[in-house]
Amino acid sequence: MSMAEGMGSLYFAIQRRRNRGLVGLYLVVGAFLVVYAFMFPGLLTIGGFSKFSQNWFPLALVTMAQALLMLNGGISLAIGPLVSLGAVVAALTMEGPAGVLGGLVAVVIVGLGIGAITGAIVAYMRLPAIIVTLAGSFIITGIALILLPRPGGFVPDWLSQLLAGHTPVAFGILILVVIGWKLFLATPLGTGIYAVGDNPVGAFRSGVPVERVRIVSFALSGLLAALAGLFVAAQTGSGDPVIGNPFTLNSIAGAVLGGVGFLGGKGAMRGAICGSLLLSVMINVMFFIGFPPVAQYVAQGVIIVGAVAIPEFARRWRKA
Amino acid sequence: MKRIVSKSMLVRAVMAGAAVVAVSLTASGSANALSNCIKGDRKAPYSVGWANIYSVPTWMKQTEGTITAEVDELKKAGLVKDLMITDAQGNAQTQIQQIQSMIDANLDAIIVEAGSSTALDRVISDACAKGIAVVNFDSLVDTNNLTAKINTDSNEWGSSAAKWLIEKLGGKGKIIVMNGPAGISVSDDRRKGAQPVLDANPDIKIITETNTEYNVAPAQEAMTSLLFANPEIDGILSLGGALSAGSVLAFDRQGREQVPITGENARQFLELWKEKGLKSWATMQPNWLGALSVYAAVQALEGKDVPAFVKVPLPVIDDSNIDGYLAKAGDFPADGYIYSPYDKALFDKLLAQ
Repeated sequence: MSMAEGMGSLYFAIQRRRNRGLVGLYLVVGAFLVVYAFMFPGLLTIGGFSKFSQNWFPLALVTMAQALLMLNGGISLAIGPLVSLGAVVAALTMEGPAGVLGGLVAVVIVGLGIGAITGAIVAYMRLPAIIVTLAGSFIITGIALILLPRPGGFVPDWLSQLLAGHTPVAFGILILVVIGWKLFLATPLGTGIYAVGDNPVGAFRSGVPVERVRIVSFALSGLLAALAGLFVAAQTGSGDPVIGNPFTLNSIAGAVLGGVGFLGGKGAMRGAICGSLLLSVMINVMFFIGFPPVAQYVAQGVIIVGAVAIPEFARRWRKA
Repeated sequence: MKRIVSKSMLVRAVMAGAAVVAVSLTASGSANALSNCIKGDRKAPYSVGWANIYSVPTWMKQTEGTITAEVDELKKAGLVKDLMITDAQGNAQTQIQQIQSMIDANLDAIIVEAGSSTALDRVISDACAKGIAVVNFDSLVDTNNLTAKINTDSNEWGSSAAKWLIEKLGGKGKIIVMNGPAGISVSDDRRKGAQPVLDANPDIKIITETNTEYNVAPAQEAMTSLLFANPEIDGILSLGGALSAGSVLAFDRQGREQVPITGENARQFLELWKEKGLKSWATMQPNWLGALSVYAAVQALEGKDVPAFVKVPLPVIDDSNIDGYLAKAGDFPADGYIYSPYDKALFDKLLAQ
């Protein structure tokens, strides 16, 4: 057996084990997608799939941003405000002389920069991430409101058409982001994210630059949230300084649904992405079933509890 | 709720209206210009969607009540077949998704209470391009790619309230202005509307202004501390019903004599008005804007020319009609709003402007 083959079988054995806990979630999400496609066959056309994936896309990005932090033992309450700020920066810069490219660069700098600063405060000052990001959420919301007190700004129509038109460009970008995450995990810094979350002291003694890993993960998380904001600006054609707020809670819900633990080191990005997909497809399925709003609140809670509980019971049942 | 026109009369009236449209269409091809978004390829009975941003506040629940009542009437007339309601739970992004689902479900009309003035622009334009009648009320969007926007004028709210109070005070006196939260457009707009009237009356002195949530408790608290500091207050320019109720309760608890105060159709305030014998005046954001929106959407689908902007005059409550409002109080929730009566004739008049 060659070295590569041995590595390969080990890799897939590990992946099988990591998928096992997620089988229940995959089945639930799959069932919802089938029901949705049955009730709205247009989902299977390019236009229908494009619109559906566009509404899911920003939630998928912010859930990844949150899961990335939770995997190394952190959390962010500033995800939503960062989405708003990303949208505001995009809507304000893209109509100016900077143009779309300049706007994109500005959003990337804002996301990476705010993320890195937050990460540095958490890593070097040893402050709890939940407190730092709570404070950060107020500051970022304030900045967004100062830059754009009322909804406005402008994103060129061609960009809106490109990202949120009748083609699944957003879905393509999501696949690229996932591939990027896979590649990142193959680097020492990427592996460090899990190691730091699972056992910070052990990781430190094994030579993982714990502080740097924390800062990088906050920076990447900030980048994803700000890019989600850019997408929202393109999708809506303008900026709104408070549009991102609900994303904070939804990003945590998506990650937890996907089996990512609060204590770090536990869970996988694919679970988080699936969790966000469930949150998104659930809204459409409830619409097509025709649930009245009050029932939707109840159903939403039942689905979330069920999606977490069913795999857990299945696991115990297998053990017994 | 009670309607002025009996149901059978209304059905007949609607049917007659439909017949008139049918006749005029056959007689002259197309007598009316079609409304925005309408292509004329959709036939009754229509399916209607209401995309609400948040269904929990009492005002929204009552508004939903007028919408379902209107849909029931239109169902009897054979014009509407079903109503789908969504609640975006305050999330504008979710509202986009839900309106997209309404387009996917090929509904004929979409009524929108917007959670953001800009975020829905593109999805609403998409709906309009598909020939769906889109009517937006109360909280408005920026885009004009829709069938109609329906609202009252918040500036006029402020100016009418200020005019009444100043007249009541004989053009001079010391007043306190009570506002909703700072930075909220409806609160800002009402206050802005009052300013020119206040400027024109230099003998009216503003002691101070409050900014609180539209809730009784914080308003009462704010007014209580102002009462300690100010022995002489001649009038209260309150720009929200809960604010007025809070002020009246504060005066009452301190044993101070009530002064002229403006208000809104909140049931609690109207009952205090009667109980304390207030000198008062009130207006409202009528809940039936929801019912009117459904009616307008169906009229547009039926080929009528619905104006792109329907300005609804603010109904006024004063000593001459307060008893009529209070007589119906039992039909409304204790923390709700007693809205003015409406009927098809009123709707037709509003849509004919």
